[in-house]
Amino acid sequence: MILIVGTIPSKDLPLTIGKAILDGDSLLVNAHRIPCTQGTAAMISAALQTTEYLKIESLEVLLVGDTGKGNGSRQMYEYLSENIARLSPQVLALHYCLPDMALTRRLCEAVKKCAKRPFMIADAASMYAAKAAGLAQEFDIFTPDATEMAFLADREATHPAYIARHLFDTDVKQTPKLVATAYQHKNAARLLLVKGATDYIVRNGEILATVSEPDVPTLEPIGGTGDTITGMVSAFVYAGLEPHEAAIIAARANRTAGELAQATPATRVWQIIQQFPAVFKENLCQWSEVCITR
Amino acid sequence: MPLFKKKLSFEGGGLVLFMDVHDAMQAEKILKGADYAVKLVAPPPELRRGCDLALEINLVEQPGIERLLKEKESGYVSVNPIKPGTSGILEIVKVTDFGDWTMVKAANMKLSFEKKSGIIVNTSGGGCPDIPYLHAEMIGKRLDQAPRPRDLGFTLCALMLDRALDESLALWRGGSKK
Repeated sequence: MILIVGTIPSKDLPLTIGKAILDGDSLLVNAHRIPCTQGTAAMISAALQTTEYLKIESLEVLLVGDTGKGNGSRQMYEYLSENIARLSPQVLALHYCLPDMALTRRLCEAVKKCAKRPFMIADAASMYAAKAAGLAQEFDIFTPDATEMAFLADREATHPAYIARHLFDTDVKQTPKLVATAYQHKNAARLLLVKGATDYIVRNGEILATVSEPDVPTLEPIGGTGDTITGMVSAFVYAGLEPHEAAIIAARANRTAGELAQATPATRVWQIIQQFPAVFKENLCQWSEVCITR
Repeated sequence: MPLFKKKLSFEGGGLVLFMDVHDAMQAEKILKGADYAVKLVAPPPELRRGCDLALEINLVEQPGIERLLKEKESGYVSVNPIKPGTSGILEIVKVTDFGDWTMVKAANMKLSFEKKSGIIVNTSGGGCPDIPYLHAEMIGKRLDQAPRPRDLGFTLCALMLDRALDESLALWRGGSKK
């Protein structure tokens, strides 16, 4: 199964594990209704659109309410560390949380007890914690945006708010340099999908591909449009695509969905997510040779 | 269910510095009482400001911790990253013009507003749990009527979003006829 783990911006949602169902612009998880907005909910929704299209049913989520205090995040990571060997997901995708280096270290230790090591994906603060704790190389995929790439390249920073000014000022064309620095300091996962005006797909320091078409700059202001990419990558990897292929297709699909939705900075992420089935139907067979007969 | 939970080692990444030991101990009590993971430590020489006692915190929680210490009138000097080579918090912002909308970026956080009305239409970026909460609370509100991330949020992502809101307000007020 794919297990997506992250916080939801709710003061009331208890630690919840189960299957998620798309219901209009919401998710249903064990009778909890969660709006599909920026963050883990957007990631899950995009992953669900992908798995539903591919006719895969094995997507489960581990969620908890946390509005920033971190209690939910700690509960979630502790539960995951104690239960990961039993759950044994094939793909483990870690997302929004209060970054905690010690808990991330504990989780990485617990993962080693799984009968088969899960394919490890991290985005958002789960990626921040992994990098800050020096655990980036325990992960198979990170999906940073351009600023987060500068954070990975900054040897000392433990959060993107503390990256060196010269790295923040760096033009997006300097991404290859930042990528090389991050790998040099062992602060990158095996595969990076760097989301930006041009998306870079990098494996062990080697840039395998770039994606820059269609060019939809209005995706950047829309909260959740990076989360959707990570959700699709998780699903495509689980479906059996090579990680770099999964990354390339997710980057293309996100851009194409933005174009279809005629995105403006005022567009909501749900309006992008709604486009994915049409994007897959039109393009997936050609992009990936994954051709679904309906 | 194990009878004894293994005590986790604490890796905070941030130091709260104080002028005297008493202030440090008071702050420890306040923060532990609010469920923050903290540890009294000796600051490294380059960060010594007064006494030799500091409080290690999870640096990401800096805004919530500073707010609580101020509310409780606990004297502290500053909050710093532990790693000596770490840069200070990013002060610069980047502005992108999208025609009817403006996007302001502070570190990893972005806020977009409609130029004419000043309505916040989106926030994006970040990865801490208060960010989707702030996203829901701020969208659809006018820049000068929206809740402040520094008041509602707890993390460095929220602090950066507050910077973006500050700059957006300045741009909008500068560009409006008020």
